[in-house]
Amino acid sequence: MTPFDLAGLLTFWSRRWDDILELMVEHLVVVLISLAIAMVIGVIVGMLTWNKPIPAAIVIAAAGVALTIPSLALLALLIRPFGLGWTSTVIALTFYSLLPIVRNTIVGLREVPPSVLESAMGMGMGPIKRMMSIQLPIAWPIILTGVRVAAQLTIGIAAIAAYVAGPGLGTLIFNGLSSLGSKNALNFALTGTLCVIILALVVDAAFVQITRLTTSRGLRA
Amino acid sequence: MPESTDTALTQIASRTDGARIVLDRVSKVYPGQDAPAVEEFSMVAEPGELIMFVGPSGCGKTTTMKMINRIIEPSSGSITIDGRDILSLDPSELRRHIGYVIQQIGLFPHMTIAENIAVVPKLLGWSKQRTAERIDELLQTVQLDPGTFAHRYPRQLSGGQQQRVGVARALAANPPVMLMDEPFGATDPITREKLQAEFLRLQESIGKTIIFVTHDFDEAIKLGDRIAVLSERSQIEQFDTPAAILAEPANAYVRSFIGHGAALKRLALIPVETAVLGAASAAVDHHRIATDDSLRDALDLLIVTGAPAIGVVDRSGSLVGSLTVERISTALGADATALAATRSDEGRPA
Amino acid sequence: MTVSTATTAISTASAARRTDRRIRIARRAATPVIVVLSLGGLLLWLSTLELDSIEQRTLNWDYIALRTGEHLNLTIVASILVAVLAIPTGILLSRTRSRAARGFVLGLANVGQATPAVGVVILLAIIWQTGYTTALVALVIYSFLPVLRNTMIGLEQIDPFVKESALGMGMTSGQVLRRIELPLAVPVILAGLRTSLVFCVGVATIATFINAGGLGDMIVNGLKLQRFPVLVTGAVLVASIALLIDWVASVVEDVLRPKGV
Repeated sequence: MTPFDLAGLLTFWSRRWDDILELMVEHLVVVLISLAIAMVIGVIVGMLTWNKPIPAAIVIAAAGVALTIPSLALLALLIRPFGLGWTSTVIALTFYSLLPIVRNTIVGLREVPPSVLESAMGMGMGPIKRMMSIQLPIAWPIILTGVRVAAQLTIGIAAIAAYVAGPGLGTLIFNGLSSLGSKNALNFALTGTLCVIILALVVDAAFVQITRLTTSRGLRA
Repeated sequence: MPESTDTALTQIASRTDGARIVLDRVSKVYPGQDAPAVEEFSMVAEPGELIMFVGPSGCGKTTTMKMINRIIEPSSGSITIDGRDILSLDPSELRRHIGYVIQQIGLFPHMTIAENIAVVPKLLGWSKQRTAERIDELLQTVQLDPGTFAHRYPRQLSGGQQQRVGVARALAANPPVMLMDEPFGATDPITREKLQAEFLRLQESIGKTIIFVTHDFDEAIKLGDRIAVLSERSQIEQFDTPAAILAEPANAYVRSFIGHGAALKRLALIPVETAVLGAASAAVDHHRIATDDSLRDALDLLIVTGAPAIGVVDRSGSLVGSLTVERISTALGADATALAATRSDEGRPA
Repeated sequence: MTVSTATTAISTASAARRTDRRIRIARRAATPVIVVLSLGGLLLWLSTLELDSIEQRTLNWDYIALRTGEHLNLTIVASILVAVLAIPTGILLSRTRSRAARGFVLGLANVGQATPAVGVVILLAIIWQTGYTTALVALVIYSFLPVLRNTMIGLEQIDPFVKESALGMGMTSGQVLRRIELPLAVPVILAGLRTSLVFCVGVATIATFINAGGLGDMIVNGLKLQRFPVLVTGAVLVASIALLIDWVASVVEDVLRPKGV
């Protein structure tokens, strides 16, 4: 049992702030890369399946199953083929991001009123033009919400990835664990956890802004 | 629960065929609002009377009605049902003896139609047997086949059917008083007309005291024994029978609410048999109208056929006289004179 | 023409409903099939391997049963505690008129969601102790807020007119809660519990870091000792448990969901 020591924590921070910052940036980068990949895959899969009930159901169910698998188990399984570190982490995080993104893409595209689609068709727009200039912009805020949920999810999971030598703030948390009993154990774990929370809240706030800025003014509530 | 509540409720409940409702200077002020939502509202509803509250949205008509079953608590004033002060009764107990129908219907989605109707009887501790019989009876009353509908869930019913269940549910414990808040407002025009006709027929046989809120003046004319035309803060602009309001609107506000075609609306209220009929002859027998149709129907037929006169037949189908546009017009004038005469005899109802 | 359009609409609707039903049945059947196939595949693969003495120490029925038991124990006890604590709190909070209390809880729930599970587990171990109790407390803390929030949302999403008509018919507020609100909130509350169960299976894997046992032991040992079969067995078992628990919860959800909703 380690008692809390504020002065010690402040000293810890002043000595290691550059390491902490670096890990925070790493954490953010690995999450952003995974989100970007998941977004490309998820939106494409959503666009291909939204109007086909059976494939859409299969895709959503599969992504749901994927989300159920405990992260440590998935990370462990990825080590053999992809090795320790960044690659396994990015693959695992992408995997977990797919469900919210695919599901929201399908829901968002389905939400477009049939009358809007019909009038687009009536004006002579082909399916691709309809998708790109009508459906996708209307579904955009819902898709972004999916990405936002995925971001919250992966920021937390990325902390575990440090156990398989992944990048990011998890390193601090596991440092705390491995120095259990020493006076810095609490400083490490607390710093790591707090930074993950801060990162999650900042990213969430950023998403609110991004959604606002990239959503057509006519769709804003 | 105090003894007096019990006896008061038993008395109210025993009057299944309508109770007298008296509202005396009832006001509602919401905290943080300067203007009262309802100000000094006074009215007497006689047993078995169907009273319509008509007014624009936000005028306080619904608030006024909801104070009678204390969904909204009055800020001041008194409300009595058959002389019992309802503010001294337990609100839940009170509500079990007041039927309540709202526009959104509010059927319980997780209960079958039968279970929905059984709610109040269960609260009142009725036996299973009695409740089951009542459900059957009520479903038949609102023209839903018990065998088909009793065990369905609300979402399996159309809007019109759901509202019938809403009415049946409110009637379940045979309450003397019914409060209805735009019950047919959310249905399509055809369904609404059907529900209105059924409801009128129903009220003829059950004779409840009913407060019925609507913003549709035509619905008010069609259904009401008396209509209260309300403005801001639930002020009563006029409170009278439909015919009297149409013939003699109290002020510009009421006139604007009636809208165009007041004479036509009045004709719709007068049955053919009140007109002085012309002679019956074979010449008028090409087009027929029944004695219990309205003068509006008769006028309609005259215009559509272009005939100078149409034949009037009684219930057995034999020709009893004839009608012309002039005679319809005279009947309308006579109706107004008769109305004025009753009025000077009795004085205006409060 | 109108008639034929209407018929088409009806037949499309009923076709869609039939498709929905088929999808639901397929999904219901898919999970056990996937689990059986992966466990069977695992068994087949293990049987082709020559296990060394280290692997034999863990890859036997007794050891696996022990770890699985620990894992399930942690998951289920935590979920029961969460249900018993969070649902009544949610009901109480939904009764209060205090906006501040509600805002505080929902805000806390958001921060809670942003907190990494591994951080909670390890922090608790550092400031308190290692072992089963700590893992249990961490799991309860971690799952408490989602269930609480779902309880509140479940009660709040009920059509206000349904509540009004219940009151208008003379139910007391206790009767409205028991007969109307709770039954209608069941699906949302159960969805919260289901999420928390699946959560718990995952977080219980991490319990191995603080010596609280569970199948995480097999994964971590497999990693440390470079014994891939041990690692894979642990991972596949944990994933199967998560899928099965989610599946059982979905069946329970369907059974308890009020008919007509």
